[in-house]
Amino acid sequence: MVGLAPAFLALTFGLHITMVNLGIGLAWIVPYLKWRADKGEKELENIARALMRFYAATYGVAGVFGTAFTVFLLSYYPHFLGFAGDITMIPFGLAIMMIVLHFFSISAYWYGWDRWSRKTHYFIGFLLGISALLIPLGFRAVFAFLNIPAGLGYDPTHHKFYLDVTAALTKNPTYWPLYIKSIVAAFTTTFLVVMGAYAYKYFIGESEEEKKAALKTAKMFAKPAAIGLGLMLILGLWYAFSLENVPYKFNNVFASLGWKVGDGKAYYNVSWLFVLKMLFYLFQIAAVAYAVPALLKGRLTKTHGKILLYAGVVAIVTIAAGEYLNAFSQYPFFVAVWPDVLSGRVPLDKLASYGIHIPAQALPTVVNTINSVVLLDNTPTTHHILEAMGIAKFFPQTSPVNQIAVEGPVVALTVGFLAFLLAAAAYLVFYVLLWPSKTKAEQLVEAEEQY
Amino acid sequence: MSAVAHWSSYPAAGDRLLSFIGIEIHWAILQYVLGLPFMAFIALLLYLRSKDKAWMRFARTLTKGFIIVFAVGAATGTTVEFGLVLLWPHLTEAAGRYIYFPLYAEIFAFLMEVVFLYMLWYGWNKLSPKALAVVAFLGFLGAWYSASMILSVNSYMVAPTGIMPAYKPSGLYFYSQGYPKIQVYMPKDLVPLLNITALKTAAHVDILGVAGDSVKVAIPSRVVQELVREAWSGAKLQDSVLIHFVNKTTVQHLTLEQVQALAAKLGVPAASLAGAKTPVEMLLSIPVKNVLDYILITTVKHIGFMSITFKSPVYPATLMHTLGSALTVSGFTVLAGYALRLLRMPENADPEYRRYIEKAFKFAAIFAAIVIAYQGFIAGHEMGRAVAYWNPEKFAAMEGTSEHIMSLSKLLHADKIMPLIAYGSMNAKLPSYDKIPVNYCKCSLTGAPPVQDCRPPIVIHYLYYTKIGLAILLGLYGLIVALVVIRDKWSLIDKTLNIVGIRGGTIPSRFWLMLAPVAAFTAQLVSTLGWAVREIGRKPWTIYGVMTVDVARTANPAPAWQLALIAIFLLSISFGLIYAVYRILWVPGRPKT
Repeated sequence: MVGLAPAFLALTFGLHITMVNLGIGLAWIVPYLKWRADKGEKELENIARALMRFYAATYGVAGVFGTAFTVFLLSYYPHFLGFAGDITMIPFGLAIMMIVLHFFSISAYWYGWDRWSRKTHYFIGFLLGISALLIPLGFRAVFAFLNIPAGLGYDPTHHKFYLDVTAALTKNPTYWPLYIKSIVAAFTTTFLVVMGAYAYKYFIGESEEEKKAALKTAKMFAKPAAIGLGLMLILGLWYAFSLENVPYKFNNVFASLGWKVGDGKAYYNVSWLFVLKMLFYLFQIAAVAYAVPALLKGRLTKTHGKILLYAGVVAIVTIAAGEYLNAFSQYPFFVAVWPDVLSGRVPLDKLASYGIHIPAQALPTVVNTINSVVLLDNTPTTHHILEAMGIAKFFPQTSPVNQIAVEGPVVALTVGFLAFLLAAAAYLVFYVLLWPSKTKAEQLVEAEEQY
Repeated sequence: MSAVAHWSSYPAAGDRLLSFIGIEIHWAILQYVLGLPFMAFIALLLYLRSKDKAWMRFARTLTKGFIIVFAVGAATGTTVEFGLVLLWPHLTEAAGRYIYFPLYAEIFAFLMEVVFLYMLWYGWNKLSPKALAVVAFLGFLGAWYSASMILSVNSYMVAPTGIMPAYKPSGLYFYSQGYPKIQVYMPKDLVPLLNITALKTAAHVDILGVAGDSVKVAIPSRVVQELVREAWSGAKLQDSVLIHFVNKTTVQHLTLEQVQALAAKLGVPAASLAGAKTPVEMLLSIPVKNVLDYILITTVKHIGFMSITFKSPVYPATLMHTLGSALTVSGFTVLAGYALRLLRMPENADPEYRRYIEKAFKFAAIFAAIVIAYQGFIAGHEMGRAVAYWNPEKFAAMEGTSEHIMSLSKLLHADKIMPLIAYGSMNAKLPSYDKIPVNYCKCSLTGAPPVQDCRPPIVIHYLYYTKIGLAILLGLYGLIVALVVIRDKWSLIDKTLNIVGIRGGTIPSRFWLMLAPVAAFTAQLVSTLGWAVREIGRKPWTIYGVMTVDVARTANPAPAWQLALIAIFLLSISFGLIYAVYRILWVPGRPKT
């Protein structure tokens, strides 16, 4: 059982990350479709516009939930954020600059549609795509740091922690697997979602022209989606192997399934979540294997369309499941390898191979400082884990969560507001954005009046 | 020392400059997010009353304007948020721990903004006009709610709740008695460990009374900032200035169990005290941060953790003044947009189009005149009074009350009337910059913070008077244009305008129209200068009387070239945005093929 603070963090993060994954794929798909439309495939123009409209709105909502996540983090764990802020200037700085560029690109690309020259529009589309890849380059470095704090150093002269960025990027065995897997997962999910949505739209489209464009789009992303699913298997294994360096996290996922490292003990077993994720993955594989050949051969039935649509929805859920698996497999610790270090499962001299440099005389200070920020909560589950690992004495008895941020009135306010705004956001996305509005003819008349 | 050198002599000049650029870009954009939805809401109400389609079209154009900048505003907001975490992590940590609530509540405001502003834009053709007006109301309410939360935190940084200033308008200075002081609730279980007599006599700590589980005390800010510094540098009690104020008799009689219980209460892990052999040794190895945290959390709970920032004495004026600034900038920018349309209006323009443009222009003119009058006579005045009472050092610098500079207020004889404006009495006296001790913020035991002069940089005097001068010119321009557009309503106005040589109809001449873009730029400049005075004038403090800039900043500051690179990047994006808005809003779209 997790506490309120991690639960709220998980909720906002889950909403944020699923929309962001779609954004990474759409940041490339939309400019690509627009480019093809400009080259003569006019039927793709409306598809590109529709996807862009969906992308802009969902990315805005994703941004808000991302901000909500960071503010929740600040409110619940101010000391952790203060500590992280001191050392993560480069990875966070890169991510932030790319966020600014990305939002600018979205606005300029969307509102400047047909107003820029084609070259300028393509260039903005390129910025859109590149920034979408570079944002997670920074953020995944932070996530990998939370697996193993590679590059962390302590300067005893100035009494401060610092980060060796080169070591953080090159000596963290989990960084590149995590980053590349994330990017491929984002593209695969988006391909599946777009393919599924348009395969289904083929059967509900109003005109022949619309149906033809839908089918063409669905076909376009069928093979990339299938290839992506294949790659995910390899990349997933790569990331899993890299996590062998973090026994606590690894065993929480795999030990009860028979794949163990070190003493093979799982203190917070989340293998059920891994199994669930694998089931979702198998559903996608099965759906693609069943429906894609029919789609490519022009024998698509409504059942095929529905199955591909479900595969898209399941792909989004798989993203959330994967992120929760990654996060909760290290619960209740911000830094996954830390309980292994405290309990001796990862020897201190091993840390040097990750570019972690702590002078021996500074070790007590470093250990005390990290202990003061590394816990997520102090629920009975946490106490049980700490006692079982024999590391309870290292941690304070007081709650690591900022208690005034989880007082009753604040929690009630949070739940009430989130419910109201989620309902309003759903209304915005499903009624205002996706519901068909006026007919094309009516829109054209209005557009003419406008100019 | 020159004015600029004085400003840069405070620590973290590069970080401060980058923060200023980042926040200023965000603020420049945000003013439209605060102002334009409000104007669109009024335009929709006017449409509902009159059914005149020109109002609907006006509302649609305003919506288009803010929806473009909103996304970038949100992105720059994220930049500011992360910028604060990365450049000023210790400030962020303190804010998250003690005054988190408005930041937390702001998220819901942000969600409201996003949902309802997007709904207004995307739902334009799907929602009824009445529903659009409701959505616009919720949209601008979300934006104003957001601003009210963030501004409460900024107000707290300007004048924290419980601050006791060191100057009285009667001309009395209290620096020698340890002022400015901060009111703090000291937990009763810590009180016996302290030597109260020494605290009173040597540190000028005042006991204000007993309040439940704690004792209310007023602590000099020079002591508070030292404790905050020690806390964030990882010092233990043995290295703290508190060691001079320990009640040795009580401490020496403490048992190991008592110290262990206290340490547990303060959140110190048992393992970190394992090396201590005696109770005193154990007590002294407790980190200052844990002790300070206990005191501050007790204080925050007593004042109200959800309301503490809203009780900042400068908050009401700050909110009024900032919203007024946003409305002023929005009003003059819209005025400029429609003035340019009028200037480029072809002779054979569609009469309906001309009517729409003229209607929108007149609305913007009256709106701009009303809000700038409100800014000058009500909100600005209240802000000035709040600064005069609660930030006397800043007020002295703003008014340039030093004998060693060319004081514009003296030159213009404004210093004669200022006591009446600021304090409501001609008998009141302005604080003299020269009489403020240069070391009033320093701890006499350690000499920290590392600044030569604790007073705010005198450069803000010139910034402030430039701002006031420009605001007066802007107000006069707004007044004239507003009078022109309503001259057909009152003959007296028409006659007066004719006397001063402003003739013609209800649309100003080309000269006045061409000045509109200058006015819009000036409005932004005035707003920027006001913000600069507010922020620069707080130095060397980040939180006045509590935390100085050198403590707030990161332990690993970026080299100057990296800061410069980020600044160039942010400025490039800003120019890109301005160009994009120009292209998208101003240049007509290409005809569809």
